[in-house]
Amino acid sequence: METRNLIDSLVVDLKPVRSIKTSSGITVALVATFVAALGVIAVFGARTDILAGAPDPIVVIRCILLVLLGLATSFAVTAAARPSVGNGSNGWVWALAAAFAMPLAAILLYAYHMMTAQPFAKGDMDFSYGPHCLAISAASAVLIGTVQTLWLQRGAPTNPYRSGWLVGLASGSLGTFAYSLHCPSTSIYYIGLFYALAVGLCAVVGRLVVPRLIRW
Amino acid sequence: MTTTSSALQMLMVRSLDGDAAAYRQLLAGCQTWLTRYYARRMAPSQIDDLVQETLMSVHTKRASYDRTRPFLPWLAAIARYRWIDQLRKTGRAGEVELDDDLSVESDEESVGARLGLARLLDQIKPEQALVIRMVKIQGLSIAEAATLSGQSEPLVKVNIHRGLKRMSALVESE
Repeated sequence: METRNLIDSLVVDLKPVRSIKTSSGITVALVATFVAALGVIAVFGARTDILAGAPDPIVVIRCILLVLLGLATSFAVTAAARPSVGNGSNGWVWALAAAFAMPLAAILLYAYHMMTAQPFAKGDMDFSYGPHCLAISAASAVLIGTVQTLWLQRGAPTNPYRSGWLVGLASGSLGTFAYSLHCPSTSIYYIGLFYALAVGLCAVVGRLVVPRLIRW
Repeated sequence: MTTTSSALQMLMVRSLDGDAAAYRQLLAGCQTWLTRYYARRMAPSQIDDLVQETLMSVHTKRASYDRTRPFLPWLAAIARYRWIDQLRKTGRAGEVELDDDLSVESDEESVGARLGLARLLDQIKPEQALVIRMVKIQGLSIAEAATLSGQSEPLVKVNIHRGLKRMSALVESE
């Protein structure tokens, strides 16, 4: 086909369109997170301290870190849908660095206990909820990640692999946040290990699955 | 035909609102810009097809354009994506040879293409670069490249495939 003929057919096909908005990408991520959190609470119940309005400080900190990472990566996902040089959104790197505070604290405290031979507090090394944590976080992340991927398909992501990582990180952190509202553990070792594992696994799955779904 | 960024931006904004005349002018401007863009990167015989593919992408993905931002960076990102996609397809079809006219073309744009290619070839393993040069640029057959390079035929194919894949990744990461 001649390029001139192609242009003619594209002009005939022209209809007014509305540009996709960053706010709509963030909104769908937040709505999906809200639905996932409601689902977790409805099925498994919320922590009693949250229901009482006096959550344990470590619960507040982990929720803030996870939501911060989830929002920052969601912003990067929405930026990825609208290609343009200099349109990078790298705030998520700092949020990811901040989220490493938990596993880093767990490693340092563990090393301290090992070196000083001090006993761990009761429940600190209770990892029996681990598989539960991974399963619920992953299920929540699947819901959030699916919604984000569908939204991303409307845009024009020009780096599918990076977008895959970002969707995985965003859905993983927001999904783990949904689980954290139920999570009975307040052990830094548990959080450092299993929350990091949940987010990391979701990021890897996002990298493997999402790129083939968003190619155009 | 004007292809300045501000003129194209204005035409794109009007096109998003459904102005057919502005859209025709925009696509013609894009065609000019894209032809020049790909001339520095592709064999001349592949340029038209890629320009058409990119124009279709511009059409289907026009909602991803932010009205407040310059147009050409957006178009460049779309063009680059289509170019990388084309490199991937070429990488998958390991036995397909580039057109002869790439190696005999002597104009400035072809030289630019070669310089870009040479820069990429410098960044991959020497054994991969060697067989890519032989098969994809000089037009030798797999068997001839195997004899000259001392690599087995399957290894030549693997090295071409991996080399092109690595080059695609390098372009994407730039």
